[in-house]
Amino acid sequence: MKKLFSAALVMAAAFVAPAMAQTYPAKPVTMIVPFAAGGPTDIVARFVSEHMSRTLGQQIVIENVAGAGGTTGITRAAGAPADGYTIMMGHMGTHGAAPALYPGLKYDPTALIPVGIAASTPIIIVGSMKFQPKTLQEFVTFAKANPDKLNQAHAGIGSVSHSTCVMLNGQLGIKPTAVPYTGTGPALNDMISGQVDFMCDQIVNLAEQIRGGTIRAYAIASPERSPALPDVPTTKEAGLPDYQVIAWNAIFAPVGTAPEITAKLNDALRKALADEGTRTRLLNLGAVLPTASEQTQAFLGDFVKAEVARWNKALAAAK
Amino acid sequence: MTDLLANLALGFGTALSLQNLWLCFVGCMVGTLIGVLPGVGPIATIAMLLPITFGLPPTGALIMLAGIYYGAQYGGSTTAILVNIPGEATSVVTVLDGHQMAKQGRAGVALGVAAIGSFIAGCVATLFIAAIGRPLSSIAQLFGPAEYFSLMVMGLIFAVVLARGSVLKAICMILLGLLLATVGTDLVTGQERLTLGLQDLSDGVDFASMAMGIFGFAEIIKNLENPETRDVVHGVIGRLLPSKKDMQDSAWPIARGTVIGAILGILPGNGAVLGPFASYTVEKKLAKDSSRFGRGAIEGVAGPESANNAGAQTAFIPLLTLGIPPNAVMALMVGAMTIHGIVPGPQVMTKNPELFWGMVASMWVGNLMLLIINLPLVGMWVKLLKVPYRMMFPAISIFCCIGIYSINNSTSDVLFTAFFAVVGYALLKFGFEPAPMLLGFVLGKLMEEKLRQAMILSRGSFMTFVERPLSAALLVVSAIMLVIAILPAMRQKRDQVFTE
Amino acid sequence: MTDQQGDGESRALFRQDFGAGLFLIAVGLFALWEGWKLPLGTLRSMGAGMLPFSLAVMLCLGGVGLIITSVLNKGEELEAWSIRGLLFIVGGVVVFAYTIQTLGLIFAGPLSMVIGSMASDEFDWKEAVIFSVILTAACALLFKTALGLPIPVNVFW
Repeated sequence: MKKLFSAALVMAAAFVAPAMAQTYPAKPVTMIVPFAAGGPTDIVARFVSEHMSRTLGQQIVIENVAGAGGTTGITRAAGAPADGYTIMMGHMGTHGAAPALYPGLKYDPTALIPVGIAASTPIIIVGSMKFQPKTLQEFVTFAKANPDKLNQAHAGIGSVSHSTCVMLNGQLGIKPTAVPYTGTGPALNDMISGQVDFMCDQIVNLAEQIRGGTIRAYAIASPERSPALPDVPTTKEAGLPDYQVIAWNAIFAPVGTAPEITAKLNDALRKALADEGTRTRLLNLGAVLPTASEQTQAFLGDFVKAEVARWNKALAAAK
Repeated sequence: MTDLLANLALGFGTALSLQNLWLCFVGCMVGTLIGVLPGVGPIATIAMLLPITFGLPPTGALIMLAGIYYGAQYGGSTTAILVNIPGEATSVVTVLDGHQMAKQGRAGVALGVAAIGSFIAGCVATLFIAAIGRPLSSIAQLFGPAEYFSLMVMGLIFAVVLARGSVLKAICMILLGLLLATVGTDLVTGQERLTLGLQDLSDGVDFASMAMGIFGFAEIIKNLENPETRDVVHGVIGRLLPSKKDMQDSAWPIARGTVIGAILGILPGNGAVLGPFASYTVEKKLAKDSSRFGRGAIEGVAGPESANNAGAQTAFIPLLTLGIPPNAVMALMVGAMTIHGIVPGPQVMTKNPELFWGMVASMWVGNLMLLIINLPLVGMWVKLLKVPYRMMFPAISIFCCIGIYSINNSTSDVLFTAFFAVVGYALLKFGFEPAPMLLGFVLGKLMEEKLRQAMILSRGSFMTFVERPLSAALLVVSAIMLVIAILPAMRQKRDQVFTE
Repeated sequence: MTDQQGDGESRALFRQDFGAGLFLIAVGLFALWEGWKLPLGTLRSMGAGMLPFSLAVMLCLGGVGLIITSVLNKGEELEAWSIRGLLFIVGGVVVFAYTIQTLGLIFAGPLSMVIGSMASDEFDWKEAVIFSVILTAACALLFKTALGLPIPVNVFW
């Protein structure tokens, strides 16, 4: 009965569906952010969408649909009509690690239409001040010598801090005891008080604590040092050159969205990334902005394929 | 001391600028409004307003957003008292006696005492933050997973004391709440548990849809079946504001509630939810005649409401002194600060003194504003109760539906509310009290998380809970409370209450 | 105690605590059935199923306890359930859930409110329709215009 009723309503709605707008966008565009408001991805989305709205002449409305490591929101966005009025802010987790973590994933990250990379935030390896090792080398030595004593915090299965540390542990060949938390905040709290020893997370979440001297940074997993934390060595300098991880954020549209529409969105995104105000705001987060060649749709398409393959390998090895 | 005065002067200088006063007022107004609307919580609203604050100076923006947060705490108690719907975990306790008072024609008194209690608590808690915020923040560092787990055990004992009727039934309700809390993705392994294969349950049951179904809708169905007790207020509406005697009865509960709430609010991981429950337990235990509780005891509103608001203020301490958000709203505040280029961290107090002290001062100003906004509104709310029930309940229903839908823009949340309406009605018919279940649910998530973290850190040794002094102390207190709660003598008294 | 003398033995099923016990056992068994494949782990290293399993078992035990008390102490009788209230109130909410996205608030609001209003024995078509339309307009203004929440108000034009 319920089904029949809703089916009848859907049919009724189909008759009055608005004619496809000739000039996109004719009404506000919804951007689904698959994480809670106020988190790193949400902030990046808000910064770029604010400028994009000006270019498009229509408001981009952020809708936060959090849950299951971001896959709830992307599933919903991927199932939305491919008319360009629903787009999504995907990231390293939802469009890289998710296929390896969630076997029943209801969308294919590589099939979604790439719009462009917005901004990326590098990963930092940090430790508690009460934890003995002071440098990355000491950390590696300690970790290999005391595999039973090591406690690693993460912000939940599927979170950036989880998958990036799994990759780190795999590369180092260490097996620390993983302590799950429900977010970066509680994990940081227990790391400051010395309950847990180390974790990996995005620079945005950690920079102020590192500057304030409450936690110790071992290395930043990007090719160059971050202007936000010039004293923190890169993984390459610290002797772990293969550990290059960045939490990237990129805009995608549902499968079937017209190329003219995604091109228009890509153009708006490029203009946002060229805007001085938007750039400054993003850089203040410690974010890394894509270069001109990295701003194309094609680049993002290839990049996602590479990321999915890379995370599949890293996370499968850990299982 | 002179430091403090100089700092406060700086703070008030910032908070009392015309623009910041206005923003504080707007925040408090919006907060009160969304607090009153069931379902629409501060998280959705602050997220919605974030883009608007882009153009504002950071301090002003944060003053406004903070106003929304504690304004919503004020407004939430209005809905709890008037229509029996707790918008948030912290107002579950207010429902117990507040709505009973409303049914006795004392809605005005309940609302008044809630507003006055909250004001006093807010002022004291703000002083707390100003004077000893920094040292207090170290309390958060004392609480590792083991201590936290023991604190939660204590919280569950509160739930037993909270109940009016049979202890066995109360314990069953707590167990049911704990069981419901396990629904969702397992924290440690990422496996889905008891989700019935529904993706919408993978993050667990939503508190608001559950509370609204079990309290709000079940109450509507129950009211509709007895025409005599249908209208919320049958008979005369008494005075609009608390009398001198009411205030005398509430003075100590307000003082105790403030202290309890302020201390629990500092704890990371949302210790503030325990505040009102703890305060209610204390008041019920201290009362000469505990049988009045659950039947419109004014102490049962005054204490928990003060604790609630004190906790809402001191929850800013870990954020403002350490840069660590203790709950979801505070995490959103971190986002708001980050958007404005101020990433909160351990140095925020020294780096941005006018932000820190401006916010502290604005909280005081905001509390005063809330009192001025809310007291005149009491008369209006009470008049609303006179609307015939046949018009009132569809209105409550549609507000709840829209509110629930707007939390995640999700159809399934609304369906869960419908499901819990049926469950809540069944519980009423079986003579269960829903409050212990909600407390079990709220604490259950934290409790399992902390239990498993502690066990992982101790490599599987239960001794960790007794070896750590603070944890052991909390467990001892819990044990004593449990014994008191189930002592045969007490039990007899309970049964008398139950059969009266 | 409110139960009448004499018929207590034969009407065990109709006592509140008896029903309550059965309810808890049903919930407990359902949780056990739903979660039987989850690994329990050991006390030392708990699996995902440890807590749900032990809570479900305790819930069943609590239910048995309630049934025993009910048989021993009798206790209050189970009141009749109001099917009308349940049907229309819950129905109104369910209709809202299924129509808000497809029909928008302008239709979902009045529809769900009128259905909900039928739960009352004072139901009056005209009043319910007029009131629900006015209230829906007020809700649209409040939630959409004033608070700016992304609620689909009008999905047609």
